[in-house]
Amino acid sequence: MNENNPVPPMIPPADRTPPPPLPPSATPPFPGSRPLGEDPAEQVPIPHAFAAIEALLRHPRRLMFQLRQPGGGKLIGGMLFVALVCAAVYGVVAGTFSGGTQLWAAPAKIAAGLFISAAICLPSLYIFTCLSGSQARLAEVCGLLAGLLMLMTILLVGFAPVAWIFSQSTSSIGWMGFLHLMFWFVATLFGVRFMKNGFAHTNAKSQAGLNVWIIIFLLVALQMTTALRPIIGQADTFFPGEKKFFVGHWIDCLKLQDSDIGISRSRS
Amino acid sequence: MITIRTNRFSLSEISVLLRGESQAIAEWSARWDARRFALHIGVIILGAGLYGAAMGWWRAPQQGLYVAIKFPLIILLTTFGNALINGMLAPLLGLNIPFRQSFFVIVMSHAITAAIFGAFSPLIMFMTWNAPPMTASGSDAAYNLIKLSHVAVIIFAGTVGNLRLRQLLEHLGGNRAVARRVMFAWLAGNLFLGSQLSWDLRPFIGAPELPVQFIRDGAMHGNFYENVFGAFMHFFLTK
Repeated sequence: MNENNPVPPMIPPADRTPPPPLPPSATPPFPGSRPLGEDPAEQVPIPHAFAAIEALLRHPRRLMFQLRQPGGGKLIGGMLFVALVCAAVYGVVAGTFSGGTQLWAAPAKIAAGLFISAAICLPSLYIFTCLSGSQARLAEVCGLLAGLLMLMTILLVGFAPVAWIFSQSTSSIGWMGFLHLMFWFVATLFGVRFMKNGFAHTNAKSQAGLNVWIIIFLLVALQMTTALRPIIGQADTFFPGEKKFFVGHWIDCLKLQDSDIGISRSRS
Repeated sequence: MITIRTNRFSLSEISVLLRGESQAIAEWSARWDARRFALHIGVIILGAGLYGAAMGWWRAPQQGLYVAIKFPLIILLTTFGNALINGMLAPLLGLNIPFRQSFFVIVMSHAITAAIFGAFSPLIMFMTWNAPPMTASGSDAAYNLIKLSHVAVIIFAGTVGNLRLRQLLEHLGGNRAVARRVMFAWLAGNLFLGSQLSWDLRPFIGAPELPVQFIRDGAMHGNFYENVFGAFMHFFLTK
């Protein structure tokens, strides 16, 4: 080593030519996500709705892979059916708080609200998916949305026993509303996680569009709870007479609640 | 360390549970054994029941009987009430075990906690036997001491049960982070429901100015969290 050549060349001169262009890679754009179907277990068809529930909870990649296969439409139909039934079951539990007509009105409103929210948001989801550079077909996008709905609703059914115990223990509509919203929020978190994992396999360049869509979906679903009120409490009419935004409705509920709060203390 | 891995059912399994021998417990949880399941449920009923009897005895023997029924009932209702959501959360959080296994694992951790309760019940009984009678005036110091003792025992038993649960989850999942996630999710759900069930099924220690009852009149009116919120607001608004 001398002053004319202080640092030895790291690369031999023969290798200083520009590297050849890389061939189109099948590697997914997000780190850590293996291509779907790589594991033979993911290629096992999903024969019925119960298997779809099992796959969604334990092997979500299998469900994502099967949604891309011919016959995916039937699977999506099954998933939506499960979501409908589970939403109705949770709705009945929510309706037990007030009883009476709410026993059928609450499940109808929860199931309808969920599906209408999904239908309203589906076009924007497809647009955002395309804008993100994703190669997903509309059917695949529908499948991911159906997965979101199914996971949300089966988790809500999981929360149903807890919701029922609380609905029998309190007369506070504000509290029950908060509890149902909390359960819905937790269920939605897991549903959204499934959707994002599925989206990562569609060759999208970024998830920014999907993140925006998730916010839109949350806002639409929250507004739907106000547009279809009452879901927990009782009213003379099936639909509300007054139009409100959900934040305004919550503030009104809290004001009503404040006037009813009685501070009780008891020993033991 | 002596590890029991046989398929044969034995009462000495309780000590294996308490020692937290993850390998053996994981094997038990993986397959259905009605007698083993009955043993764990029996430990919950007996351990928590004895502790409940000791807890309620100070107020009146009848109160002791009521709490002996209610205390295990809370544990069992919490276990069954959360079984569905706990079984769903485990695979979603990375622990891919069947629903039945997750249920067994929780029952086992509750059996450990209940066994500790059962072991402490003679001590609590001795303490209440030595305490002055519960009267409307003059038993405040004893009341506070007994209350704090219950808190200490419940914290200890709950901590050990959850520690063993975490070791088992680490063994099943092979990953510390996954075990932590699942345990905290289960713990949050069980605390959330268990607190409310405890509220619904009060009284436990009892109060001298109130009658001995299985549950209070209007127990199902209002819930634990509303009451805590009300107390919180009262404290800060009256300051």
